[in-house]
Amino acid sequence: MSLLIRTDVTAVKLYEEFIIAGIGSSLHIYEKNTAKSFGTHNYILEGQKIYGIVPTKDKSKILIFGGKQFKVIHRSNLELRLFDFSPGSVLCNDWLHSGIWTSDNKIALLTAHNVVQVWDVSNNPILISCTINKDNSILYSGLITPLIDDILVFSGTVFSEVIISRCECEEPLHRLIGHKGVIFSISCSIERGIIVTTSDDRSVRIWGLNGPAIDRNTKAFWDSVTISCIHELYGHLARVMRSCITNRYVISVGEDSGICFWDSDGTLLKKIGAHQNAPIWSVDVDEHNLVTGGADCGVTMHPLTVASDYSDSDTLRIGEGTPKKLVFTARRNLAVLNETGHLIYYVIAEKTEIVHKIKHESTYVMLSISPCKQIIAVADTNGSLEVFVENCKGPASVQNVISTKLQINKILSMQWADNRHIVLCSESGDICVIASKGSEVEIVSKFLLPHCKERWLTSAAMNLDNNLLVVGDRCGNIHCFIKEGTNPIKTFAKVHGRYGPTSIRIKNNGIISTGRDGTIKYFSVYYNNGVYRIKHTSSKDLGFQWVEKCIDSQDNLICGFQERVFVIADLRNNSKLLEVHCGGGHRSWDVVRYIENINNGYEQIIKLVYLKNSDINMQTFCISKITSKDIIKGTHSKEINCLKSHHPQLEESATFFISGGEDTTLRVSIAKESKHFQDEVILKHLSSIRTLKVFLLEIDKLLVVSGGGRAQICINIMHFVKDCDDVKVVVEDVIDFLVKGTDKERKGAKTWRNCTVDFDPETRIMDLEVVEGKDNCFLIYAGCSDAYLRIFQFKYHDDKVTFKPLGQLKYHKTCILKTHCVKFLDKIILMTCTTRGEVCFWDLTEPNSITDNDATAFLSTTTNKSGINCIASKIISDSEILLATGGDDNAVHVKIVHIPNEDFQSAEIVHTWTSDRFHGSQITGVLLKDNIMVTASIDQRVTVFKISKNGREVEFLYQTISDVADIQGVDFIKKSGDTITVCVFGKGIEVLALSLEEANFNCHNLGIL
Amino acid sequence: MGKTSKDKRDIYYRLAKEEGWRARSAFKLLQINEEYDIFNGVLRAVDLCAAPGSWSQVLTKKLKENTTNADDVKIVAVDLQAMAALPGVKQIQGDITKLSTAHEIIKEFEGFKADLVVCDGAPDVTGLHDIDEYVQSQLLLAALNITTHVLKNGGVFVAKIFRGKDATLLYSQLKQFFELVTVSKPRSSRNSSIEAFVVCQNYNPPSGFVPTMINPLLDHQYCDFNQLTGPNRFIVPFNVCGDLSAYDSDTSYPLLLDGQTTYEYKEPIQKPIDPPYKNILEKTKNMQLNK
Ligand SMILES: C[S@@+](CC[C@H](N)C(=O)[O-])C[C@H]1O[C@@H](n2cnc3c(N)ncnc32)[C@H](O)[C@@H]1O
Repeated sequence: MSLLIRTDVTAVKLYEEFIIAGIGSSLHIYEKNTAKSFGTHNYILEGQKIYGIVPTKDKSKILIFGGKQFKVIHRSNLELRLFDFSPGSVLCNDWLHSGIWTSDNKIALLTAHNVVQVWDVSNNPILISCTINKDNSILYSGLITPLIDDILVFSGTVFSEVIISRCECEEPLHRLIGHKGVIFSISCSIERGIIVTTSDDRSVRIWGLNGPAIDRNTKAFWDSVTISCIHELYGHLARVMRSCITNRYVISVGEDSGICFWDSDGTLLKKIGAHQNAPIWSVDVDEHNLVTGGADCGVTMHPLTVASDYSDSDTLRIGEGTPKKLVFTARRNLAVLNETGHLIYYVIAEKTEIVHKIKHESTYVMLSISPCKQIIAVADTNGSLEVFVENCKGPASVQNVISTKLQINKILSMQWADNRHIVLCSESGDICVIASKGSEVEIVSKFLLPHCKERWLTSAAMNLDNNLLVVGDRCGNIHCFIKEGTNPIKTFAKVHGRYGPTSIRIKNNGIISTGRDGTIKYFSVYYNNGVYRIKHTSSKDLGFQWVEKCIDSQDNLICGFQERVFVIADLRNNSKLLEVHCGGGHRSWDVVRYIENINNGYEQIIKLVYLKNSDINMQTFCISKITSKDIIKGTHSKEINCLKSHHPQLEESATFFISGGEDTTLRVSIAKESKHFQDEVILKHLSSIRTLKVFLLEIDKLLVVSGGGRAQICINIMHFVKDCDDVKVVVEDVIDFLVKGTDKERKGAKTWRNCTVDFDPETRIMDLEVVEGKDNCFLIYAGCSDAYLRIFQFKYHDDKVTFKPLGQLKYHKTCILKTHCVKFLDKIILMTCTTRGEVCFWDLTEPNSITDNDATAFLSTTTNKSGINCIASKIISDSEILLATGGDDNAVHVKIVHIPNEDFQSAEIVHTWTSDRFHGSQITGVLLKDNIMVTASIDQRVTVFKISKNGREVEFLYQTISDVADIQGVDFIKKSGDTITVCVFGKGIEVLALSLEEANFNCHNLGIL
Repeated sequence: MGKTSKDKRDIYYRLAKEEGWRARSAFKLLQINEEYDIFNGVLRAVDLCAAPGSWSQVLTKKLKENTTNADDVKIVAVDLQAMAALPGVKQIQGDITKLSTAHEIIKEFEGFKADLVVCDGAPDVTGLHDIDEYVQSQLLLAALNITTHVLKNGGVFVAKIFRGKDATLLYSQLKQFFELVTVSKPRSSRNSSIEAFVVCQNYNPPSGFVPTMINPLLDHQYCDFNQLTGPNRFIVPFNVCGDLSAYDSDTSYPLLLDGQTTYEYKEPIQKPIDPPYKNILEKTKNMQLNK
């Protein structure tokens, strides 16, 4: 039984106040307004993804189709259930591309061989007619539309042509010629008189109808109409999968994760990205919303508006000179510095300005506003400082509270460290922290910035008790100072690239910094007995280069620039909240976010202001009106290659999945009950992640070692901690290691042209094993694609982390696909498996023993005919280990290794069982638990076997089918009573409860679930 | 990334360039032959879905070895895409699932039937596995349909197959026409890839079978001896082909292979003719978001 499924969302439908999504063979229903689940109907189709959800006009029935199957479900009378249906589905002899209701009881279906079938579905469905269209080469897409007096058929061929025909007419009516690739989708709006096609050639084409002034829903119209391409549109960076037509727009979705809104003139009004760069497979619209389903397993709802509908643009001008720098104040007015260094307070509502003239001795003038945005400081290089405070009530104004000349020369930078302290950095790295004292200022502390090329600061922050000052310098370093010393107690060198950290925040026990290297970084701060321990814990890639700062108090909304586009990203779901073309971050700009009560509802508002050609441009966005909302949160955008589950002790009802995939991300997701599934942490590798192993360090503290392409190994420590009512995952990234060095190290300092060819192979880490050694030391054995087994030592103790290669061994001739360790008595055995079907056994009792080049395996055997994709083992006695492998040859092998008296040299295989009858494709997952063996394969079948106690007998119990394509493995979740719960992963993830009770076998085949 | 990086990532890509094959696929056919001796005595062959033409190259080379008179050899190559000419190979550009293309091929073999039909057809994959598998299976069935018209009794049919969730349906269907059906994976095909090849030997259609083009062969359905799930599924034997000493496509090799002392970068043999979106890339680049 399927407990949880996340895979490609191949069908979405807006239905009354619900959103229905076809995910695998199940229907998932959500309430549109609350995004709450309203139930899931599993096994609608049999082992087949749902591609179409087509309600009748009165919405009382829905036609569901996918693959070669269809089914009609009925609106339920029950309160908590939306649909009623009986098990099973109707199997057609061909793939279905499109389906419609031609009357209350009749449906018409278009198949991939261009055949229209009409079925009577009033009771048991009966095929009443079959029209074979003339051109019956294979179609990639198709659409049927009912006319009053016939059925209209649009067929999308491989030959880039759309053929329009109708059932009663033998000869095709029209051919739409122009695309240069396979046609992926066809939509038609008879009301608007347009046809929209999308293709492999990345274009969207809008075709116009030019026909007689008669009802367009008649065959007479279609027989005499002329159709021509009116727009050939390019907006997608990859293939265009689907489109839909509303009364205002044409909307297309693509493999590039893009959603394009076009108007009838073919103008691209808006393009948004959704679904984490994964292809978008499905789309639907109603009057107000657009819903999309993606390859990232997510469903997202978007307001059916283009940004200009709900944003307000304004151009402001100041009377006094040209503006140079500006910031928003607490009352959301502007403090502007003009080219002569005067401060202008601009009240937006009234469009009035108050000028505060300031005399400067130097032309380099700095403007900085406190975090509370009420105190504005203006200083110049020579040390004149003016401080203004904005009033809270009454007519808005600022008052000059301090006007002084500091005894500091050559000031290069000024930042507020908190609402009281200003940090100034002057020549030769002198840092002064000043605070107000009456109408004067005093220097509260002084520090020395270590040497660097451009020796000034780009950001600063101070903790609550004013003991700790953290600053970022222009060379990308972060330094931590404490009050008592002049030199930093801790420096993080080059953490944010060459422009320096853009912002630093200190909060509770942590520091958050951002930079123009595309990252946000987290540090932990422990304070004990007057000693600070500051540690870098993790880093997150935002996907845009210039990350500026957090704009909300929870540090979830991050703003910055992607080239010329201003971006606000939401860390919680890795999505972009807002994108505004504004010219880039080099000119002065500022942004504020606030909540406003509009018509009794709270709306999140974002105000952006920036300078462009001496004008002040201001844009206001009402977020809920323009941003998308996740109905089902997405996860990996490509295949999951490896996954391990973890049950935190803190919260028994939750299961965490740690997974790595082709999309180069390592994710930790939480699953609660069967509906809730969501990524909590997303980390990145340089290339695809092929393997991950976990080791429980202490309760709810996991060591996670992952490896993959570019010969990269990463180690993270994941703490599962209680956060209010939830369990939170805190990640500490400890090691990021490239076995073959970085590109720079490999090539040396030479330029590309001069560098000699690097003969070393491209190595991928295919699998790895983690073995605990003594004294917080771990050994990591990595099987690599260049046939080497590499051994690393990892030490982890408090602050100190070391990682070093211990050696490598080339024993195998071909790629090592799997490594697997088993503890046998007090010894450790490692098995390595190759693409040639060999399994070799190594004695790891002396960890270094296999780093000698002449080391040999104590036992070696061949199981599969070619690559071994999975291996599992089980100790069955003091002298016997049972091992199971699954391979590329569809076969599962069970072998028993006999090791008499712990004498490895006399080890031998004493029993073999094998079968290739159960899977029609590569076996990629095998798992042994007690007396049960489970295998999983690319053929999407999951097979359950029973193994006798002595391992000699293997009995087939039953098989079930999963909706996850391209299964890469199976992981154990739990076993209780007669049920074993496992998780299969590949193109998506499915949790299956496999009942071991006789009575439930095959219930699936009978369709009685 | 340097230009050698693809050479490093894929040993067969590199070998194909060094040995003059238009595509790395050549090795798949060669390795299938090593195992099944499919070219034995073959003079007339059809290469379906042939572009860019490495299988046709292999066929040209191997079939010539079977005769002293080069005129006895007949090779017909068919593809959607245009393909650079190859001496001795008759080319047809067309969709093999289309009736007119099938007729054109059949016409070539009126009188003398073919000894061997090969099909390496692969659709433009969408990323949705079931659709991709379905379209691929339709290419295979279209190839089988053409085969029933042109292949002599006892002949051999080799075709690419995606071993996805419904592969057993194809196995059972092929088994109706051939005495021996095996699935093979050449060592030059990646372990992780879903692709494999069915090698169908000894063509022997059911008695009374009349090849027809009007109703294309439709897919099989799950039934008693080939269930959707359970112990009764129609699974054919699997074999690996290519000998043990062959290079392994999953293994990363250094640029200097065992026994080599120098490495020289070679340009690809045959760049694609007319790639589908030549100008389109340009257009997208210049695309402006109109605000
Ligand atoms: C993997 S390539 C074949 C490589 C070839 N065997 C060689 O060795 O050079 C697959 C080919 O199938 C062709 N193809 C796909 N669908 C087709 C169809 N319906 N009719 C004809 N050819 C098709 C594609 O154009 C593509 O060239």
